[in-house]
Amino acid sequence: MGCSSSLPDRTSGRLAGPNIENGGAPDPKNLRVKLVLLGDSGVGKSCIVLRFVRGQFDPTSKVTVGASFLSQTIALQDSTTVKFEIWDTAGQERYAALAPLYYRGAAVAVVVYDITSPDSFTKAQYWVKELQKHGSPDIVMALVGNKADLQEKREVPVQDGIDYAEKNGMFFIETSAKTADNINQLFEEIAKRLPRPPSS
Amino acid sequence: MEAPAAAASPSVTFYDFLDRMRNPASLDLVRSIKSFIVSFSFYTANPENDGKRVQEFFLTMEAAIREHSLWAGATDEEIDSALEGLEKYVMTKLFSRTFASVPEDSKIDREISEKIGLLQTFLKPEHLDIPAVLRNEASWLLAEKELQKINSFKAPREKLLCIMSCCRVINNLLLNASMSENHVLAGLDDFLPVLIYVTIKANPPQLHSNLKFIQLYRRQAKLVSEAAYYFTNLVSAKTFVVDLSAKSLSMDEMKFEESMQAARLTNKATQIEASPTLQGQTIPIPPTAMHDKNKDISADMQMPSIAIGGSNYPYMDTQAGELTVGDVERLLGLYKDVVTKYRNLCTAVRQNHISVSKTEQPVPHSEGTSFLPKQPEGINTKIDIQRED
Repeated sequence: MGCSSSLPDRTSGRLAGPNIENGGAPDPKNLRVKLVLLGDSGVGKSCIVLRFVRGQFDPTSKVTVGASFLSQTIALQDSTTVKFEIWDTAGQERYAALAPLYYRGAAVAVVVYDITSPDSFTKAQYWVKELQKHGSPDIVMALVGNKADLQEKREVPVQDGIDYAEKNGMFFIETSAKTADNINQLFEEIAKRLPRPPSS
Repeated sequence: MEAPAAAASPSVTFYDFLDRMRNPASLDLVRSIKSFIVSFSFYTANPENDGKRVQEFFLTMEAAIREHSLWAGATDEEIDSALEGLEKYVMTKLFSRTFASVPEDSKIDREISEKIGLLQTFLKPEHLDIPAVLRNEASWLLAEKELQKINSFKAPREKLLCIMSCCRVINNLLLNASMSENHVLAGLDDFLPVLIYVTIKANPPQLHSNLKFIQLYRRQAKLVSEAAYYFTNLVSAKTFVVDLSAKSLSMDEMKFEESMQAARLTNKATQIEASPTLQGQTIPIPPTAMHDKNKDISADMQMPSIAIGGSNYPYMDTQAGELTVGDVERLLGLYKDVVTKYRNLCTAVRQNHISVSKTEQPVPHSEGTSFLPKQPEGINTKIDIQRED
């Protein structure tokens, strides 16, 4: 397992400086969105984010590569921007009880499994149920089957993912953090589904 | 680096804030601030409610500052640093009234600190499956030091900065491991176990109260994004420690229970042996003594175990009929402990009396009690000073 082999950028590795917020009022043109990543350890949660954040080259963004908190802004066609603040969670079983601390107040949850691991798919379903019970009621949820490049080792059929997502009103996509397949599409699709604050 | 990276410039902006408050034009603001602070003395502490009131006050003041002639044409940054100054001023003034202000919080602090004290005796990085490439004692020590500084500050922003600095050290460790050791970065799966381990090694003072204080009193617009994320991680580490059982660790259940039991016994033994010389390292610091001290509390405020109350004297509620022969040895030990402490205390008080009346001679022939300062903290400090020689 593991992400692609490209090395992190030397200049990163520090936390961003104090960011001045403009009074906290939601700006319908520039959304700021908390996105939480859930899934078993080893399914490639952080690789997906690294790929997303690194893939789009933006010289102004100070990216902390390797950190568990990352943010990335994307511009949509209707000239709005969405800044994703991506909260990683720990996938190991012993930290499962801590997850509510992280998904509290999240506008988006991305639940990731590995298409070569049925166990990780079962775990993903557990997270979906947990979010339905305890997450924000209007949370946007995406189900992501990662490692789509490993077709020959696939153990979770695409149709299972599609069916489960449909039943639970989620957006579904298969990605490969390794080849960058569908990574941007994932985040663009989420951005489109976000509820917009009424423009004044 | 001694201070958290960003500590220098804010102190400048804080003086700038104080300067502006001295300007006659800001009299209306000063009045609101003073009357808000005074209003706190009318009510008993109620953390959630107090937090709400403070946050509302910050918002009201933000609006007032934005409209104020002294800040006419000010940039968002300037407004922001005024608000940081306001937070620091108000929370420093209200500190003893808002920090660990209810007994439950002090109790939780004590329990966490005690549990960490036990875990420290046997917990190893492998019990949290921390990979070997991330085991870097020097980095961990640096991260621990940042966390331990948390009680050196009263302003919520500065306390939060200690947490951020600690997390920054850990992130740098992960980044270095990924570059030099070719370790594949695994996000929070790497970060959280290290943070938990560092938290246990650091045993930061009043962990629960500090987190609660930041949560309630850091300006809400600032506890967002990256700061909120790393803050949440420390809350998460604390929660993990509180709920920690054998199942939380990669460790045999029997072994875990044995180690915890052994740690409890060792702690008791060292408390009994060490208390006459006041060296009980694992003894938690009583919260009452900490409120107004912010430097090196852990060093000079280690208290004799008498301050903890009943927990060290398990036979207090026992009836004579419940005792067995096996209890005799322990009872005798506790008896000797109590007598030794009592003797030491008497000596300390006597010496203290003599030295005070020798050096200060307030009123000739003042009777026994008159030297006693009003706050009990004062006595403790004096005893400690006596003990240093």
